[in-house]
Amino acid sequence: MKFDRRISRRSFLSAAGVTTAALALTACGGSSSSVAASSAAGSTASSAAGTAQGGTLNIMLETEVQSLDPQVATDGTSFEVIADYTDGLMQMDADGAAIPALAETYDISEDGKTYTFHLRDAKWSNGDAVTAADFVFGWHRAVDPATASEYSYMLSDIGQIVNAAEIIAGEKPVTDLGVSAVDDKTLEVQLNVPVSYFLSLMYFPTFYPVNEAFYNSCADTFGTSPDTVLSNGAFKLTDYQPAATAFTLEKNPDYYDADKIALDSLAYQVIKDSQQALMSYQTGALDMTLLNGEQVDQVKDDPEFTSVGAGYLWYLSPNMAGVPELANENLRKAITFALNRDSITDDVLKDGSAPCYTAVPPQFATGPDGSDFSADQTKFADFCAYNADKAKEYYEQAKSELGKDSFTFDMVVDADDAPQKVAQVVKEQLETTLEGFTLNLTVEPKKQRVQDMQDGNFEIGLTRWGPDYADPMTYLGMWVTGNSNNYGLWSDADYDAVIDECTTGDLCTDPEGRWAALYEAEQIVLEQAVIFPLYGQCNAEMISSAVKGVEHHPCALNRVYKNTTKSE
Amino acid sequence: MKKYTLKRILTSLFTLLAILLVLFILMQLMPGSPFNDEKLTADMRAALYAKYGLDQPIYIQFFRYVGNMLRGDFGVSYNISKNTPISQLIQSRLPISIQIGGMAVMLGAVVGLVLGIIAALKRDTVFDTVATIISVIGVSVPSYVFALALSYTFGFKLRWFPMLFSAKDIFGSSVLPSVSLSMFTMASIARFTRSEMIEVLDSDYMLLAESKGISGPALIFRHALRNALIPIITVLAPLIVDLMTGSLVVEKIFAIPGVGSLLVTAIQSNDYNVVIGLSFIYSAMYIGIMLVVDLLYGVIDPRIRLAKGDD
Amino acid sequence: MAAKAIRVGEAASPNETFTAADFELKHNEAEIAVDTNFAAQSFWKDALIRFFHKKSAVLGLVLIVFIVLLAVFGPGMNSYTYSGQDLSQKNFAPRVPGIEQFGILDGSEKMSTTTGTKVTNAYQEKEKLDVYYWFGSDLYGRDIWTRTWEGARVSLIIAVAAAVIDMVIGMSYGLISGYFGGKVDMVMQRFLEVANGIPRLVIVTLLLLVLQPGMVTIIFALMLTEWVGMSRIARAEMLKLKDQEFVLASRTLGAGSFFIIFKEVLPNIIGPIITQVMFSIPTAIFTEAFLSFVGLGIPVPQCSLGSLISELYNSFTTHPYQIIPPIVVMSLLMLSFNLVADGLREALDPKMKSM
Repeated sequence: MKFDRRISRRSFLSAAGVTTAALALTACGGSSSSVAASSAAGSTASSAAGTAQGGTLNIMLETEVQSLDPQVATDGTSFEVIADYTDGLMQMDADGAAIPALAETYDISEDGKTYTFHLRDAKWSNGDAVTAADFVFGWHRAVDPATASEYSYMLSDIGQIVNAAEIIAGEKPVTDLGVSAVDDKTLEVQLNVPVSYFLSLMYFPTFYPVNEAFYNSCADTFGTSPDTVLSNGAFKLTDYQPAATAFTLEKNPDYYDADKIALDSLAYQVIKDSQQALMSYQTGALDMTLLNGEQVDQVKDDPEFTSVGAGYLWYLSPNMAGVPELANENLRKAITFALNRDSITDDVLKDGSAPCYTAVPPQFATGPDGSDFSADQTKFADFCAYNADKAKEYYEQAKSELGKDSFTFDMVVDADDAPQKVAQVVKEQLETTLEGFTLNLTVEPKKQRVQDMQDGNFEIGLTRWGPDYADPMTYLGMWVTGNSNNYGLWSDADYDAVIDECTTGDLCTDPEGRWAALYEAEQIVLEQAVIFPLYGQCNAEMISSAVKGVEHHPCALNRVYKNTTKSE
Repeated sequence: MKKYTLKRILTSLFTLLAILLVLFILMQLMPGSPFNDEKLTADMRAALYAKYGLDQPIYIQFFRYVGNMLRGDFGVSYNISKNTPISQLIQSRLPISIQIGGMAVMLGAVVGLVLGIIAALKRDTVFDTVATIISVIGVSVPSYVFALALSYTFGFKLRWFPMLFSAKDIFGSSVLPSVSLSMFTMASIARFTRSEMIEVLDSDYMLLAESKGISGPALIFRHALRNALIPIITVLAPLIVDLMTGSLVVEKIFAIPGVGSLLVTAIQSNDYNVVIGLSFIYSAMYIGIMLVVDLLYGVIDPRIRLAKGDD
Repeated sequence: MAAKAIRVGEAASPNETFTAADFELKHNEAEIAVDTNFAAQSFWKDALIRFFHKKSAVLGLVLIVFIVLLAVFGPGMNSYTYSGQDLSQKNFAPRVPGIEQFGILDGSEKMSTTTGTKVTNAYQEKEKLDVYYWFGSDLYGRDIWTRTWEGARVSLIIAVAAAVIDMVIGMSYGLISGYFGGKVDMVMQRFLEVANGIPRLVIVTLLLLVLQPGMVTIIFALMLTEWVGMSRIARAEMLKLKDQEFVLASRTLGAGSFFIIFKEVLPNIIGPIITQVMFSIPTAIFTEAFLSFVGLGIPVPQCSLGSLISELYNSFTTHPYQIIPPIVVMSLLMLSFNLVADGLREALDPKMKSM
């Protein structure tokens, strides 16, 4: 049975347009207009591409590339650059849905557990054909304990590929992985259970192919220079060295879809100071740049200013196992009701970040009916939206239950700009609304904050989570008993049962039922104030009016330039 | 003197080894882990530790590291630039830091000396005041404010120099960063030169030299400056190392691919090999320069040479 | 003095003889009294007098006293607290009652945006005409006046504490190492090389991560890293002086090592030492500022001058008035410490006594 099933996803645009009257939410301010421009340009790009709309796109990056090895890279910058010159089986369309790339067509077995991909004729930049064996080699690397890929769980826990978990644990040889090359052009994948979002994983760089012969010829230097990477994508690397602050890619004439690529080249420039970046942008040295919240005052009347969803949910995580007071549900509710999220995003962050009243942030997960999982921000607002009276009420109850008049907690915060800003406002809000409540801030480098939280060595933590794939489970899976990201060590049997049912149980094959169950789980999290959601992060960005069709995505590949044009 | 030099070189090597050991111990004390992604599970982290041999006892790691280092292998980066050999990172970034730092040192030392000498010779006059004000501004405004102000004025408004570092125009794009870096050195040297020169100028041997009829540049440079140089070199030496090994602030603002920002990122993300590798380079340069300075003392001041001859 | 003696000798012709009548009393009792009095003055009192004769030094001292007073009383001079936020009054430009009538410091600001320059006055736009922020308010609506002086207080405490501890440790270390020379010097210098050969940031970061962040930790961290420069100066000076005649004389007269180091040599090198202390004050403030820059400074919402500058740096091109007060205060502080240092140096240097 042959499908050409395109995961239907409601577009970004409609997500931003959904009216949520009661809370007057504006999801990422200007992002709607930017995406409108990009999707519009995206649809016309194919026709316009023939005309000379090329040139060099000058892109600002905040951080250096960490790795160009698709199975080793973990950060958004590296993913973006790898995807510039490598295609996977699938790619993202302007709305983030998976559409075929190197896989020309694919079949899905009736039980949903076998995927067969039929590859198109594509070439590596050394002239070799891209074969199914390249994918097998790449995926074997991803689960090989010798590679120790940090994202190997994309194949095991998330992708549910047969034997992936056992191979990662070192219990089975790599060759047992449930993926095989039927012939040069046919790749077959076996899953443990049906995974509704499996196709959308295929644009994730961990699943990209690697040419085995070329890899072996590079030995340890794979991915460290233009000579040690192979391109099969829209662009190819021309100038790069590890941790470079400036590097370039140019159009790959051998790309199977080369006719549609308008840009001649991409020039990346790492600039860590946003004021310097804006000045460079104003001199025309950059076509796109990020801003800090303070600079928004300078550019808010500028039509080139836009705000783009970054996918991250920022939230406060109370340590319920380690701090007896925080085990008290009323105290937790008092805290969550005392947080004025609108003030945090509008007065302090100003970069377009939107308040969030759900445990799963909006704009990345689309349900069976085509609607955004968290479009309706009022759904659980009664459990957490700012309400000083309710906060005080719960606070009084908590006081009498705990027999204490004052509370002092420490909050761990990353030593970065935005988290420190948010933390200072949260401190002020809680201390003003709740009498006798003191919140001390412990600012530390992010790595240590993460470690402290994972070790349970904290009272309250300000933390964030970005989606790995387009399904609410990327968030809801976190609060299962024993999950390493369940920092608060919260445990609820009902919740675990619901999640279990949705991952490996009967609901796997019942999209509507699964969706309803996920809402149920989310409600438990918010009703018991397991976390205090704060906001969905957006980035303030300047994009030159000459540039059209830059596609932004909250997960996997943050920016895609395949349909981008630049007029002189 | 030869024997002394040889002895100093040998002890320097031992010092370097001691520093390496201390660095290793410090890395062990560092809280957190190089594999700090919030998505990483404990099992996965254990696998990564095993892959890089970080699960071994520290002394084994140390001896293995020293062994590899003698073969020129400083290990690989764990997270800043995954699996990239440290030697490759250093090769691509250190020359840029040295070049910009070198320009800053030259500029700072020359301008500082001139300002200091003028201030000392024209003590309590307008020149003195101007030199003092320049040097006070130099020490009291943080370099990142300087850097941004310079970049705004000369890069953005006047467009005389590029605002960002570019491999195509290394000299031109190094001007603004070098100037912002040199301010502190210049100010320190100017202040110190002034204070030392005044002391020397007031000394009896200057009176003697003057009474012998020596005057003008010969008096200032051959007699006064030479005697004032020892403390100045003492102050300058560590500044040279600091400047040559890059500055986080200036690198950040001018987007320079130097080693200063690399070290800070490495420390913050527990990239042990990068921290150890860069610190070691820093230590080697530092100890090398201290060695040179120590030997220079003898050249400049015969009294110290004599004292050392006794050793 | 030698020159004078020769001249006296020349004046006295060997052929003449003197009688008692050639001499008479000068009646200079008053002057003699003065002379006695002068000779009895202590070294420090003497230094003090010379110090106050130098105008720039006095100016520096006045400035320091002025800033210290403001650091103590400034935060209490209006109703704001250093951490109190009012998000409805954020980014207000400076406005001072009285002066505002002259069209300056009236709360209006010129902002250069990407679409042109515009003049705004937040007080009028938000109808807060009875509100005054003397130095303006920051992005949380906190009073920059209060925060600047609070920051000055913290910075002064950190810098002075660190500099004094540095001086004591570094100076003693350098003097002892230089005086004894040989093996002692060898061992002490190697230890110093190891301690100093490790980049400061590695040690400081580690320290700040392991210990509870705060003022005491920062002082401790600065102390651990800043004493090296001082000890180098002290050692270099000691090497210059230790073979000189007055040390030899003292030793011949039976003085112990401790006496020679601290009573004979120390007073002779107090000039460079004080100059170095005055340098270590800005260095301490800077290092603290740098630590703030990499996120390891005074924990928010507390502030120091350095942390204020690095925090307000982000508004440098947007609201430049915000970063000006801490920078000016910091520069003035540096300037005055330098002027005072100069004055002290000249006043304390025994070799300059005759001038």
